[in-house]
Amino acid sequence: MRKPMDKSSRRTFLKSGLVLAGGVVASGLLKPFNAVVLAGDKPKGEGPWYGIGIDIEKCIGCGRCAKSCKLENNVPMEPFYFRSWVEQYTIKKDGEVTIVSPNGGIDGFKQTVPDNEIFKSFFVPKMCNHCYKSPCVQVCPVGATFVSPEGVVLVDPNYCIGCRYCVQACPYGCRFLNPEKNVADKCTFCYHRLQKGMSPACFANCPTKARIYGNLRDKSSELVSFIKNHTCMVLKPNLNTGSKLFYNALSMEVR
Amino acid sequence: MDMHFQHLYEVLSHVKGFIYPNEIELSWSILIVQYPYITGLVAGAFILASLERVFKVKVLGPTYNIALLTALAFLMVATMPLISHLGKPQRAYEIMTTPHSTSAMAIFGFVYLWYLMVVLLLEIWFDNRRDMILWSQKSTGFKRFLYRAFTLYSNDISPRSVALDDKIGYIITIVGIPSAFLLHGYVGFIFGSVKANPWWSTVLMPVIFLFSAMVSGIALVMFLYMVISRLRKVKVDMACLDTIAKYLFYILILDFTLEALDQIHRIYEAEESFEILSLLVSGKLYITLIIFQVFMGMLIPLFTLGLFQFYKPSEKIRRITYLLISMLVLFGIFWMRWNVVIGGQLFSKSFYGFTDFKIGLIGSEGYLMAALWFVVPFLILAFLLWLLPPWKKHPLEEPVSAE
Amino acid sequence: MTFAVVIALFLGVRYLLVPKSFGEYGHYRGLALAENADRPLHYSTSANCARCHEDIFGDKSKGHHAGLSCEGCHGPAGKHVLFSDSTHTIKLADSLILKRDSTRQFCAVCHEKNAARIKILFDTINKSVVKVVEEKKHNHLFDKETHKLLNCIECHNPHDP
Repeated sequence: MRKPMDKSSRRTFLKSGLVLAGGVVASGLLKPFNAVVLAGDKPKGEGPWYGIGIDIEKCIGCGRCAKSCKLENNVPMEPFYFRSWVEQYTIKKDGEVTIVSPNGGIDGFKQTVPDNEIFKSFFVPKMCNHCYKSPCVQVCPVGATFVSPEGVVLVDPNYCIGCRYCVQACPYGCRFLNPEKNVADKCTFCYHRLQKGMSPACFANCPTKARIYGNLRDKSSELVSFIKNHTCMVLKPNLNTGSKLFYNALSMEVR
Repeated sequence: MDMHFQHLYEVLSHVKGFIYPNEIELSWSILIVQYPYITGLVAGAFILASLERVFKVKVLGPTYNIALLTALAFLMVATMPLISHLGKPQRAYEIMTTPHSTSAMAIFGFVYLWYLMVVLLLEIWFDNRRDMILWSQKSTGFKRFLYRAFTLYSNDISPRSVALDDKIGYIITIVGIPSAFLLHGYVGFIFGSVKANPWWSTVLMPVIFLFSAMVSGIALVMFLYMVISRLRKVKVDMACLDTIAKYLFYILILDFTLEALDQIHRIYEAEESFEILSLLVSGKLYITLIIFQVFMGMLIPLFTLGLFQFYKPSEKIRRITYLLISMLVLFGIFWMRWNVVIGGQLFSKSFYGFTDFKIGLIGSEGYLMAALWFVVPFLILAFLLWLLPPWKKHPLEEPVSAE
Repeated sequence: MTFAVVIALFLGVRYLLVPKSFGEYGHYRGLALAENADRPLHYSTSANCARCHEDIFGDKSKGHHAGLSCEGCHGPAGKHVLFSDSTHTIKLADSLILKRDSTRQFCAVCHEKNAARIKILFDTINKSVVKVVEEKKHNHLFDKETHKLLNCIECHNPHDP
């Protein structure tokens, strides 16, 4: 014989039922909403979906990545335009943080803080994070920047109107207006090399293999095992950009 | 070749602390300061007009048409600073042909056209149709041709069609109020939705933009009404001015409260970006924010207008004060836009330093270009006032000599 | 009515203005993918360098610099590799050719002593150890004839240091 439900349990039942129903409705509403608002989601597909791993412990700050990037991609040599650059963080014993990136690190670094005052110091190479929920792609009003099927964030220089909203939207400072072409410019993951089976310039010319790239879908790729074997972190995770640039040994001072 | 980045070498020496290397150059310059300023003036002026039309504040009658024409004059140039700032202005049409559904900027073209075509032009047309027909009968030459063309060569001023004009005009104004809110709230959203920038990213941004728009629009109409009356050598309607001042006071209170709330919230939450933003406010933005925007543009007008609610000095003093206050408010709101747009780009998104802002006199983003887009609306307004002089409108009671 | 005409007109104009490949893969010009992929190369690969310079490549692959890319130091060799043959050589861009007397600056970008590099020197687990020196103090002897600081390259063979 069925025990009659007492009042309170019926209420809990009704309550949880309502919550459940509400949740279903809400998530049903949220899904298409997500599709409208966020620039992208983890796409389903078969081909490679690229990500980047940077090992801060291995970076010696030689700036070959920044230099080869400029030469490979015809980026103006002036020190205001970088698709890839290196920063040096020096944390003093009194807690003061000094950060420098002279000419993006292309000409090398000179340590200006005396050794006996240094608590720790390290280099952080920066480049486009090729986010899959990219704020820059989200805000482009005309569809001149987009995520390629390989997960590479690209600019269409023949369609960009040069409004620079994407420059404002990138939290990592990875975009700029190309002064010669007057359109937005950014790291293309050397898409032209990648599609020919060659490494992007910054990866090919890194002397210490501090940076690697690979297919995030392939669980046996070098990148996936890098992420597995190290404690990796992305920059500004609070902004939910879906960054695909994973840093090993990222210090809390780095932004 | 003298590329535009030459001046950046000078800026480079003014960089304080650390900034990302691409952040030396400000992406959005004085023209983008102008854009929310001008659209704000439009929205504010329109809302003042709607007070008379929809909310039946009849005492504002003398400024109704001036407000509408001002809104139109400024709206006609509102996109010009935007387009002239683009890297590729010739591609601007793409924002209409392939608007990106996720972009806050993409529907600007449509919001703008809706407001210009459907709201302002139609409303002004219905408001002035009867008068244009009557004026066309009295004028000659080019002016007559303009009137005839604008009235679509119709002569219908029967009471029925005039009543219909009035009814449609009324409906358009009702549609226009949310449209004005939309237009400027939306401009605020373009900034407020940039999550990468903590100085912009606040839910209050659209609301603050909206109220500061109303403040600036009302102040502009107040100013123009006094100047136009002076030029026409007629007496200003003090009751009307006092009422505008009253509304300006109320909306200033709201605007001030919202902006204060935004800052208090920011200070109390003291997020990751707090240190750099407080350095920004007390350093690079001290003069433009604390002195120009808050003290001159907000506190002085607020205090003076508040005083006038209790104590009314002589008409002459009030008139002069209103003129000064309206100018101060216009000045203050300009710097408010400046502090948002320029201020938001002076600090690095790494929160470790500041860049500097330098603009040249000439060039597509220089002072002269900016000055141009400030002068043109007044020229358009002068033309509109010549074409549709509100003071020569025919009151409905006036017997009309039909031909 | 007017609205219908305006909207129809807009759609017509839009049809003419939107590039044909727009929307092929997403909200962008599909051709942009191919255009981005077709840009010219500047950097080649070390394997291409080895095809002609096998002697130097052999030296390098035995030494500490074995893991380095040739073009990392010598600069982009795309055209040099593509268009050189046994009869004539396309030279590397002059500004990129390493000069003997610039080695003190150039080698320093990796080997200059820096607090951020020291940890790598002592990292014994990691095979890629980078030696650091204090450039100012290192071999500050002057060349007897020219009275100039000795260049790194006078003592170290960059291909097998």
